[in-house]
Amino acid sequence: MPRKRYIFPSWGELTATMATDLSHLENLIAKCALGDQKAFSALYDATSAKLLGVCIRVLSERAEAEDAMQEAFVKVWNNANRYQVTGHSPMTWLITIARNTAIDRLRAKKGHDDLSTVEERIAAPGRSPEQSAIAASEAQRIMGCLDELEGDKREAVIGAYLDGQRYKDLAARFDVPLNTMRTWLRRGLTSLQECMAR
Amino acid sequence: MTEQMNDKDMLAAEYALGVLEGDDLARALSLLASDQDFAAEVTAWEMRLVGLNDDIDAVTPSAGAKAALNTRLFGAQKSGAWMSWLWPVATLAAVFVAAFLLISDLQQPAGGPLYTAEISSAEGDFRVIAVVDKTANEVILTKTLGGAPEGRVLQVWAHGPGEPAESVGLWTPGATTVRLALPPRIAAVNGVLTLGMSEEPQGGSVTGSPSGRVFGTVDIPGVVSAL
Repeated sequence: MPRKRYIFPSWGELTATMATDLSHLENLIAKCALGDQKAFSALYDATSAKLLGVCIRVLSERAEAEDAMQEAFVKVWNNANRYQVTGHSPMTWLITIARNTAIDRLRAKKGHDDLSTVEERIAAPGRSPEQSAIAASEAQRIMGCLDELEGDKREAVIGAYLDGQRYKDLAARFDVPLNTMRTWLRRGLTSLQECMAR
Repeated sequence: MTEQMNDKDMLAAEYALGVLEGDDLARALSLLASDQDFAAEVTAWEMRLVGLNDDIDAVTPSAGAKAALNTRLFGAQKSGAWMSWLWPVATLAAVFVAAFLLISDLQQPAGGPLYTAEISSAEGDFRVIAVVDKTANEVILTKTLGGAPEGRVLQVWAHGPGEPAESVGLWTPGATTVRLALPPRIAAVNGVLTLGMSEEPQGGSVTGSPSGRVFGTVDIPGVVSAL
């Protein structure tokens, strides 16, 4: 029976007391950028379980997922100075790095292109606190908005994001031509964006 | 926001979702490295999609993962490899000593289960031996290495499966060993009991959760509530 595991501070607390922890995590990432190994250790303690969960979701295999998680933390340490300029919230930045690293591993076996671009990413224009708040509230709506999509479109979005499936994989999975898949998913993304902006 | 997404915004969404390959992926990566608006749109989509991870359970990594990561990033720890065999021996000895002291201290046969564990930092600069005594619902902790930095105090935390961490108490400054009563919710834990230690401002964390450096945690499996 799968059982939720917690760490210090627990993921549940991270989301519950977001304002405090948000700045706490940002502070830790900022310290990592200054080469503070203790801050890195604290960042790891606070977020590694969630990132490992994300890697396991993509890679299934525990040992491989743990490798991917480690690799993600290496990128976090080496690119902590880039965090500020991407305009992410800290957990989004960390989870996106972990997820992309895991998907790249999944695809590496098949010799496909990499998604990861922690280093080669231009600074995005900074967001105002208001814009950040809007983005955060949008993120919480994704589940509800996904439910509004038709079954196959919903499955396609989830398959792409959580299983690392590309257009080609999705077309094969749903047994439709590639262009049909592309049209489907683009409609799905447009509906998602409209729903989340409501 | 209800107008049709333009071609570039759609590419940003497709990149964030991860469905691109070949030329389309190459174009997205090139824009990501050169086009601020595109990068901002990718970030916006990553922020939207990250909610898909909410249902994914956190999974505590193995203890070795952090050590391996530290070695990978920062090289070998200070204590030489030739010393490494000493630690398990020293630790085991310390656990026995602590357990023995505890039992003799109680001056009675151990009527309930005792659980021993070690909390240590991955950096190798902090070690505490913990003995959980379910007869008295207490935890006895002995420092064998390290401590709180100047002006800070050690705080002990615990939680059961699926619960947030709760403070067990503060370390008495200067003491090598402390004995703390388990709070009711911790005393009632059945299954995996997690102990952890952090360093906090005088008087303890004001947030109700660890706020300073967390030295380490340890899972004690198979704990039975002796209530």
